[in-house]
Amino acid sequence: MFGYLRPVKPELKVREYETYKSAYCGLCRYIGMDYGIISRLTLSYDCTLLAMLIMSLKNESVNFSQKRCVLNPLKKCCFCLSGGESYRFAGAVSVIMTYYKFEDIILDSGFFKKTAAKLLKLLFYRSHEKAKKAYPEIEEIAKTMVTEQAEIEKNKNAGIDPSAEPTATAVSRLCMLIGSDDDEIMILREFGYYLGRWIYLIDAADDYFKDKKSSSFNPFVNKFKKNEELDNLEISDYCNATLNHTAAMAVSAFNLLNLRLHKPILENIMNLGLAYMQRKCLFIDKRKYLERSDANERSV
Amino acid sequence: MKDPYSVLGLNPNATDDEVKQAYRELAKKYHPDNFQNSPLAGYATKKMAEINEAYDQIISERRAAKKNAESEYYDYNAADVQNNSNYIDVRSLINSGRFDDAEMILNGVPVEGRDAEWYFLNGVIKSNKGWLDEAYGCFQTACNMDPSNREYNAAFNRIKNSRSGVGGYDRGGNFVCCTPCDICSGLICTDCLCDCCCNSF
Repeated sequence: MFGYLRPVKPELKVREYETYKSAYCGLCRYIGMDYGIISRLTLSYDCTLLAMLIMSLKNESVNFSQKRCVLNPLKKCCFCLSGGESYRFAGAVSVIMTYYKFEDIILDSGFFKKTAAKLLKLLFYRSHEKAKKAYPEIEEIAKTMVTEQAEIEKNKNAGIDPSAEPTATAVSRLCMLIGSDDDEIMILREFGYYLGRWIYLIDAADDYFKDKKSSSFNPFVNKFKKNEELDNLEISDYCNATLNHTAAMAVSAFNLLNLRLHKPILENIMNLGLAYMQRKCLFIDKRKYLERSDANERSV
Repeated sequence: MKDPYSVLGLNPNATDDEVKQAYRELAKKYHPDNFQNSPLAGYATKKMAEINEAYDQIISERRAAKKNAESEYYDYNAADVQNNSNYIDVRSLINSGRFDDAEMILNGVPVEGRDAEWYFLNGVIKSNKGWLDEAYGCFQTACNMDPSNREYNAAFNRIKNSRSGVGGYDRGGNFVCCTPCDICSGLICTDCLCDCCCNSF
């Protein structure tokens, strides 16, 4: 469930795009410094958003520097190097969440994927231990999320709302950790809840056909199991409506936050990025997937 | 008391139009309609009151100075409360924010005894918990059972509005983004520009 929170690039100004990129590179660098080179692989757009949100709320002054990229030493990248605390927090979230993602894969996948996930989990073992020590509260949140999710998935007919609850609550609690006064914490709780819910639901909607085929757990498959007569477009429309409503709730809480930095970028992600991702996952990728599987069936 | 201009994010020499514009934007952001059935409602209402007060103060000061400025603000009335409710206890629990207790009472009602109001109140509780999908189903059922009720219709319409892509993605509407066609035409343009400066090929 990583990588759904992205800005819409054509709508960013060049300097905003550069800032976003340097925050991304800055987070990568901090993860590398704190948890070693392998952990840099856990870098995601979602955690970049988290780091930028913290910087924005805390008004951590930003300065840029140029260093060589680890992945491509020939290229010099701009790094946004201030905001150490926000990067450290987002980095720990990234490492811990990835670790538990593997745990989740081990629980509900076939033999080969399971073995691969076990190996990868071993690889991240040490960085996870380190992050756990530095931020026990994040560890606790992630652990609760995974156990509650497993509990809910035991019920093969679980609805959309209860299925989204563990992720929504986890993101909500994570966001509450970064608030500084009571009002802000209350807003962040709502914002986080709906953002987490949106992330969970877009992931579920994105995997709809894959999960339906392999009969894996998916709340949307559960929902439409009984109405066989609905066509794919109607299903996509229903998922889209649920996501719209969730996004609208997240955005109205987001508008109440007092953002001191990176405001246009964060607004781009919330106001355009979410909608763009819905369009991409529900109406573009899905159509391609269906066309491909149609062609396969015909050739068989 | 805060400086009314700082509440609206203005400096004291802002023009009347700027004051109005700032007020409208803030009112849009904090309008209680955006936070119906949400725990943030209290905070938004408080903010909205502050903004209204600041706006009124500025306007009346200016009116006293000019005697012809007009005051205009959004009037927010709470939804009509039903007088003949069967669930007065549940409603008062909801109003005081004790959603778990209200939910427990509602769950105690046997399935065959559940009327339109039951579904409406259940929807309100679900919506406060963030369980938007069930809230949608509940409001829909309430409206189907009692299509003439204004309270249920208002709640259902609000939820339908949010679902149909106000601020989200609407398949029927326009959405500015890059299609494969745009990329192609972009590349053709770039190619033309390349030809301008390096005319060797």
